[in-house]
Amino acid sequence: MSTSRDAILTRLRDNRPDPKAHPLPPVARLGDMDNGQARFENSLQLLGGQVLERQEGDTLATAIARRFPDSKIICSAVPDFDGTIRIEELGTPQQAASVDVLVVRSPFGIAEMGSIYLSEAQLKDLNSAAHLTQHIVVILSAKNLTANMHTAYMDRPEFHTANYGVLMSGPSATADIQGVLVRGAQGVRTLSVWWED
Amino acid sequence: MKVKPVNHAKAAEAFIEDTAHMDFHDERLWDLRQKRDGQMHILPEWQELRARASAIKEHTLANLPEYLEQFEANAKKNGIHVHWAADGAEHNRIVGEILEKHGAKSLIKSKSMVTEECCMREYLEPRGVVVTETDLGERIQQLDNQMPSHIVVPAVHKLIPDVAKIFAEHYHTDPNDNSAQSLAWQQRLAARPVILSADAGMTGGNFVVAETGSFVVCTNEGNADLSATVPGLHIATIGIERLVPRMADMGVFIRMLSRSALGSPITQYTTHFRGPQKGSEMHVVLVDNGRSHRLGMEEFWTSLKCIRCGACMNTCPVYRRSGGLSYGAVYSGPIGAIIDPTFNERKYSTLPFASTMNGSCTNVCPVKINIHDQLYKWRRVLAEHHELPFVKREVMYMAGKLMGQPSLYRAAINGTEVALSTMPRFVLYNWLNPWGKHRELPHPVKQTFHGWYKQNRLKTKKKEGEGA
Repeated sequence: MSTSRDAILTRLRDNRPDPKAHPLPPVARLGDMDNGQARFENSLQLLGGQVLERQEGDTLATAIARRFPDSKIICSAVPDFDGTIRIEELGTPQQAASVDVLVVRSPFGIAEMGSIYLSEAQLKDLNSAAHLTQHIVVILSAKNLTANMHTAYMDRPEFHTANYGVLMSGPSATADIQGVLVRGAQGVRTLSVWWED
Repeated sequence: MKVKPVNHAKAAEAFIEDTAHMDFHDERLWDLRQKRDGQMHILPEWQELRARASAIKEHTLANLPEYLEQFEANAKKNGIHVHWAADGAEHNRIVGEILEKHGAKSLIKSKSMVTEECCMREYLEPRGVVVTETDLGERIQQLDNQMPSHIVVPAVHKLIPDVAKIFAEHYHTDPNDNSAQSLAWQQRLAARPVILSADAGMTGGNFVVAETGSFVVCTNEGNADLSATVPGLHIATIGIERLVPRMADMGVFIRMLSRSALGSPITQYTTHFRGPQKGSEMHVVLVDNGRSHRLGMEEFWTSLKCIRCGACMNTCPVYRRSGGLSYGAVYSGPIGAIIDPTFNERKYSTLPFASTMNGSCTNVCPVKINIHDQLYKWRRVLAEHHELPFVKREVMYMAGKLMGQPSLYRAAINGTEVALSTMPRFVLYNWLNPWGKHRELPHPVKQTFHGWYKQNRLKTKKKEGEGA
C-alpha cells in the first residue's frame, strides 16, 4: 500500500463535508426523447459530419469511390465490404497511418449530438486506426439511434464493457488559431455516415 | 525568502496597451459566451441539469474517499495500474519511473491542466524525456515557452501572425502564412511523425467513473485519442476531484461541458477508457496536490466541483481584458482566482481582486459554484491574513468605517461631489487611486440619490400618510 494513498484518503475523511447533507440524486432521463434520423442528421451536420450520398443503384463501394476519388487505400473493418485491405491485416498503428478511408460499423448513434460510437470490438483491437485514417465512413442503422446522452449512458451496455469506447461527433476540429474553425485537425479530416437501411 | 504576490494589474496593463490583441481576445471570448447562451436556450432543462450536476458533484466530494476506493478497485480489475500522488513532485516521480521502466524517451501528450500544475515537463525534460504537447493551442504555448492562457483554448491571446512566427521558427514554415487552416495543417504534418514514433502517450481525464473504473476524456482535435492509442503505454494524470459515482451520471455532464465551454453541443471526441488496449499498458495517476486540504475549507470546498469548462473566464470582463497570462498562475480567470490562493495564499493574494463582482461567473457555471461569493470571501480571508497591499488595506479600512455609519457615508458622498468638481487632477489621479489609472472618475452629480429621495419621495410619502 502506498503511504500517499492512505494519507490522501485519511485527509479526505477528516476534511470532507457531512455526507448526510449531500445525498445522491437519482439518475434522470431528461430532455428531448426524439431518436429520429432527421434529428441525428441535423446534429451531425452541425458538428461537421455528413451523410454519404446514396444515388440510385449505389452500393457502399460506388458511393465511396465517388466521394473519395483519389483514395488509394480503403480499409474495411466490416465483413460485408471489401475495400483494398482488411483492418486485421494492418498489424500496427504505423501501418494504419497509410489508410485513406476506413469503413467501420457503429453499434449505435446519438440523435441529440450526431455522435457515433466505436470500440475495440468494431476496430478489431486497432483503436488508433479510427484516428490515423484520413477519412472515416461509418455504417449506421437508424434502428440503432438513441435519443440523447441520458438514454445513451443508461441504455447502452458498451459503456460498461468496452475497454476503449469513443463517441465521435463529426471529424476532428480545432479553433485554436485566432478562433478560426478548422475541420480536420489531427484525427479524421471527414466523417461520413452511411445509412444501411 | 518571502514569495512576491503576482502583480496582476501591472501584467494586465501591458496586455491592454496592445489594442489589437486585447480587442480580439475580448471579442473572441464574448463570442464563446454568446454561443454558450444559444445552446443553453435550446434546452428547457438547462437549469435542472445545472442543479443535478451540482448535487452529484457535492455528493461525490462528500463521499470522495469511498468513491476513490471504488474506482481504484474497479480500475485494477480492468487491468489499469492505479497510482496516488500527494503532490506535484510525487506525480512527476511516478511518471518518470513508469517511463524509465519502459525505456521511454519520447512522450506525446494531450492537454492536461494537472500536469501544468505539477510542472511535469520541467521535471522530465532534464531527465532525457522529450515531451511533445499535441493539442494545437498547447503546442503553440509550449513552443513559445508560455503557460496556457486559458484552460480550454490555451493560445487564445495570440493572433495568426504570432502563430505563423512561432511555427516558422520551429517548423520552418512560411513566417507570413496568414491562414489558420494552413497553420493547423502544418501542425498536423509536424505532429504525425512524432506521434507515430512516440514511446508513451499521456492524457488527462475530464471525468472518472467510480462504478466502472473508467475515465472519460473530452477533446476536439483527435490528438488525445492518438496519444492514448498509438503508443503501447498510456498514462492518464487526473485530479482526485474528477469523480462521478455512476456511468449514468455522465449524461448530465457531457450535455453541459462543451455547451458551456465553446457553445458546441458536444466535443468532437468523447472517449471512455476502461482498461488497456490489447497488448498495451495503462496507468492512472490520481493527484491530490492540495485538493484534500481544500475539501476542508468550509467556504471554498465547492470550488472542487469545477469541470474546467472555462465559461467563467469567457464571461468575465476582467479576464477578457487582461488575458490569462496576467494571472501568473496555471488557472486564470474567476475560477483561477478562487483556487490559486489555495496553492499559495501570498503569491496569488492579488487575484481575488481581479473582479468587478458582477456575478456573471456564478451565473454561467454549469455546476453552480458560487464563484463571486468566494471571490468576496477570499478578499476577507486575505485581509485577515494581512495579505493585502498597503493602499488597498488602508482604503478598505476607511471604506469599512464609512459604510458602517450611514450618516458618515452620506456626508462623505456629498463631499465627493465637491471634491470631484473642485480638486485638481493630481489629487484625484495618483498612486492612492489605482482605479483612476485607465479610467476617468465619474462626473460629479448635482444631487445624490439619497438627497433626491429625501427631498421628493419622502415628502410625498409623508403627504400620502397624512391623507390616509
